Amino acid sequence: MDETLKKGSVTPLSCMFPVDEAQKAAKRVEDSITEKQKELGSLKDFISDNTSLINLVTELPDELHHDIMVPFGKAAFFPGRLIHTNEFMVLLGEGYYAERTCKQTIEILKRRGKALDSQVESLQANLKDLRAEALFFNATASESAEGLVEIREDYVDENGGQTGQKSGTEDEQVTVEDDEYARIMSRLDELEKEELAAEDESQSDEDEHANTVDSHDASEKEKQSGAGDSNSNIQTSSEMWELEHQLKQGYPTTRVLSNKDSNKPNLTEQLSSSGLEVGPIPKDENYATQNVVSLPHQKDLLLPKVGEEVKEVSLSRKEAFTGSILERSDEMPSNAQMQKQTLQTPLEASKPRFDSSKAFTGSIVERTTNVQTDPIAGSSKLSTAQPSRPVSRFKQQRR
Amino acid sequence: MASSTTIRELQRDLENKANDLSKLQKDIAKNHQVRKKYTIQLGENELVLKELDLLSEGANVYKLIGPVLVKQDLAEANANVRKRIDYISAELKRLDATVRDLEEKQNSKRDAVLKLQQRIQSLQAGKAKA
Repeated sequence: MDETLKKGSVTPLSCMFPVDEAQKAAKRVEDSITEKQKELGSLKDFISDNTSLINLVTELPDELHHDIMVPFGKAAFFPGRLIHTNEFMVLLGEGYYAERTCKQTIEILKRRGKALDSQVESLQANLKDLRAEALFFNATASESAEGLVEIREDYVDENGGQTGQKSGTEDEQVTVEDDEYARIMSRLDELEKEELAAEDESQSDEDEHANTVDSHDASEKEKQSGAGDSNSNIQTSSEMWELEHQLKQGYPTTRVLSNKDSNKPNLTEQLSSSGLEVGPIPKDENYATQNVVSLPHQKDLLLPKVGEEVKEVSLSRKEAFTGSILERSDEMPSNAQMQKQTLQTPLEASKPRFDSSKAFTGSIVERTTNVQTDPIAGSSKLSTAQPSRPVSRFKQQRR
Repeated sequence: MASSTTIRELQRDLENKANDLSKLQKDIAKNHQVRKKYTIQLGENELVLKELDLLSEGANVYKLIGPVLVKQDLAEANANVRKRIDYISAELKRLDATVRDLEEKQNSKRDAVLKLQQRIQSLQAGKAKA
């Protein structure tokens, strides 16, 4: 599990957006929504008033005079008669009045109605925005209340780092990509057979099997402590050059150094783990996608998403698979190397990058040469407890 | 014991700053309200100007002054409204400037308050450790 910690971070959503804060924000937005709605209501009232006024004004000049009750003070009315039914004193606003006829008044009122309409429109657009905002805040609040977590992970260009990962949704994922799984398994079985055959040829393979049970953490350390005794200088300088070149293609230089020194145990680890427990592969895919995947408590919520990812990745894997085999079959001197190569590829292929697998060929080449010369390598692996040594080991090897 | 007195001083300082901050915030809110009022007036005046422009030359225009309607020349009314619009726009600009100023002040105050809080916290933490 500590691998996961190393590789990425799991942050509860409630950490970044505290529940009460999100709720507060949601409440504020709701308040502004109700305010705007009130405004909208009053505008609608204005519009209806305006239309009724227009109706009244159109009817008034129909008669020469109207009998009406004239308001007198607050409470009293007295009967009166409305004359000059075609003359209006229209308030234009700001205390300005204009004398207008019925038709002119109606025109003014209609213009006013248009202005009101445009105001309503803008208000409605505003309300729509606010509603979307409120929806978002509410969703965030409920999510953080449910205890959603955000998983953020850096893209690490390394096989070994992935094998040890465990994810909560492992079971589901495996069933989801049953076909894929079966395919990989059969392929791996084939390769295992080849490997067994190759074992007779080179002692190096014994080391691999001896180490299969080791945890991945050990291999990480071994990278540094490395195959200390195994660097007898059998390699010709030209070989070294080639290696360096290949490695540099895919790896940052620091990686190159550490790989060169120690890749033997490291690789065996990786190989064995990839060969013997295929389970991790689907997990890897989940992580390799690298997106921020939020894992709700209910795993099944995640399932459809995972399925999609798996499909995507499997496509790219197929490409990478064939590609790498073709590419490398001529490069590889021994059978055993071949299998390792192919064993690596499924893992590698789960990542979209190609050159990373290229970099691995380089390290593999070196590994065999090292191992054959050195039978003690196994013991060096077991002494993983050594504290990490500086990378300058590479230089020692050169001496 | 010296640390406790400094903490007390810092806390008093913090209180003062917080009061200032809330005062600033009140000012800003007030400013916003005034601004809203002016925008509404501006809209109304523009409406009036539009209507006045549409009026024909000989139309009678009155201005309500107190309880009486005073007859006004159309051109005069037009000029008055224009002047008023200019005045309101200038006022709005001024308000904008003051709001910006106040907000800047508010931000700096907030920073100061935050810094003070952190200092107090660190002091208290140090005390707890000791």
